[in-house]
Amino acid sequence: MARRYILVCMLGIMAALTLSAIAQEHANSAGSPSAGTPALASAAPTAREATHKSATSTAAPDAVEERVLRLEGEKRFRTNCGRCHQAPHKFPPRVMAAAIRHMRVRAMITDEDMRLILKYMTQ
Amino acid sequence: MLGVRVLVLSAVLTTLSVCRAGAQSDSNYDDVKPVPLLTGSTGFISNFTGGQPDLHPIITPLVLVPIGRQWLFETRATFETDMVQVPGRSGFHGGTVQKEVEYAELDYIANPYMTVTVGRFLTPFGIFNERLYPVWIRNLQSDPLILPIGIGPSNASTGAMIRGGFKAHPKFNVNYAVYFSALSTVSHLDSDRFAGGRAGIFVPSARLEVGGSFQHGLQDARSNAFGFHFLWQPPALPLDIRSEYARSIQGSGYWAEAAYRLSQIPFHQNEFRRTQVVARMQQYFVGENAADSLRPANTRVFEFGLNYYFMDGLKASTNYGRQFSDAGNANVWTMALTYRFVVPLGRTGSD
Repeated sequence: MARRYILVCMLGIMAALTLSAIAQEHANSAGSPSAGTPALASAAPTAREATHKSATSTAAPDAVEERVLRLEGEKRFRTNCGRCHQAPHKFPPRVMAAAIRHMRVRAMITDEDMRLILKYMTQ
Repeated sequence: MLGVRVLVLSAVLTTLSVCRAGAQSDSNYDDVKPVPLLTGSTGFISNFTGGQPDLHPIITPLVLVPIGRQWLFETRATFETDMVQVPGRSGFHGGTVQKEVEYAELDYIANPYMTVTVGRFLTPFGIFNERLYPVWIRNLQSDPLILPIGIGPSNASTGAMIRGGFKAHPKFNVNYAVYFSALSTVSHLDSDRFAGGRAGIFVPSARLEVGGSFQHGLQDARSNAFGFHFLWQPPALPLDIRSEYARSIQGSGYWAEAAYRLSQIPFHQNEFRRTQVVARMQQYFVGENAADSLRPANTRVFEFGLNYYFMDGLKASTNYGRQFSDAGNANVWTMALTYRFVVPLGRTGSD
């Protein structure tokens, strides 16, 4: 009886967290101007706050956005990859794409982190 | 039995709900097409335990084959031998090379929240077995005393697993894994019948992760095992702090490790930024149903080590440990040279 209770509790918590994340992701997507890339779009505002002072007023919006995403990708890279091992050097893009897919499964990094890290590591 | 049915039913319901939600969102993966990889690590490890030396060459290739946008096949094997001194003969002599497929799994990334894995996979109990085991990653070359707890024979399970990581709150991410393993008695591919799960919370701003593991045996004594893990990298310091606790009918114990990179020392920076000092304390208590893979007596070990990173993936390590045990105390010296390799099995352009 106790074992069954523990199993049900574990799965209930997991399901609740998953559904809350889905709801949040939908909310982020709905509020984002570029719904085609919800993960990157939701990450950009926080990074933009940190970098808007360094961006020149004459820089093209796309270039600023690229820089913001690159900085955020570097931050996520150091935060996530450094949890287990020394941060590796950059590899060619297709190698990095395979490695990041492996790490997505093994280290359970989030979809948003995976996209930002891949973007940073392939530039 | 009812518990397993509840587990399976709940997992299926969760899977269906998550798949449905995932299908509604844009889950397109990036444009870069991944290439199959041969990666892994190799190492030459020398141990001196109680004055008895042994040499331990090991090579661990890992093959990654991405398939389409959402699939990944991965398998890791180990080739290793122990070379010891034989009385009456000079030099070191080894037995046969031990060969083992550690895991071979097929991963399906169903949506941003969930990956389904089938095949033979590393048991996600605690963090060391899955994330810190390769010789190029671990800070100290010796295994924690509690490593065999909860991971099954051969460190792996045979069955199915659902896992994932997602942002559950703006301040933290959640990662989880639930799995079922079937009984296998095939040599080198053996596994026990059990079900379990692991969940963790990661706070990126503090670089802090805490989590717990639970496992319920479905054979023999049908016993439970549980554990907790903790990782912290203070953002202001090049310091890694890791710790695990595990308890089962076979035994219990903990390990706690701190590793500090000397990059903040203002002189000889080129050398010091490559140098890492490590300390680990661990303790193991024998359980009521001791296993062969665990120590036969209560044991306490203190270890201190030094790592030097020549370049990305190439590391020299040395460490000294003092082991206090009811079966006798001993000094343990370890020296190792490890290398992580990456070989693409195809064109590596950006197309």
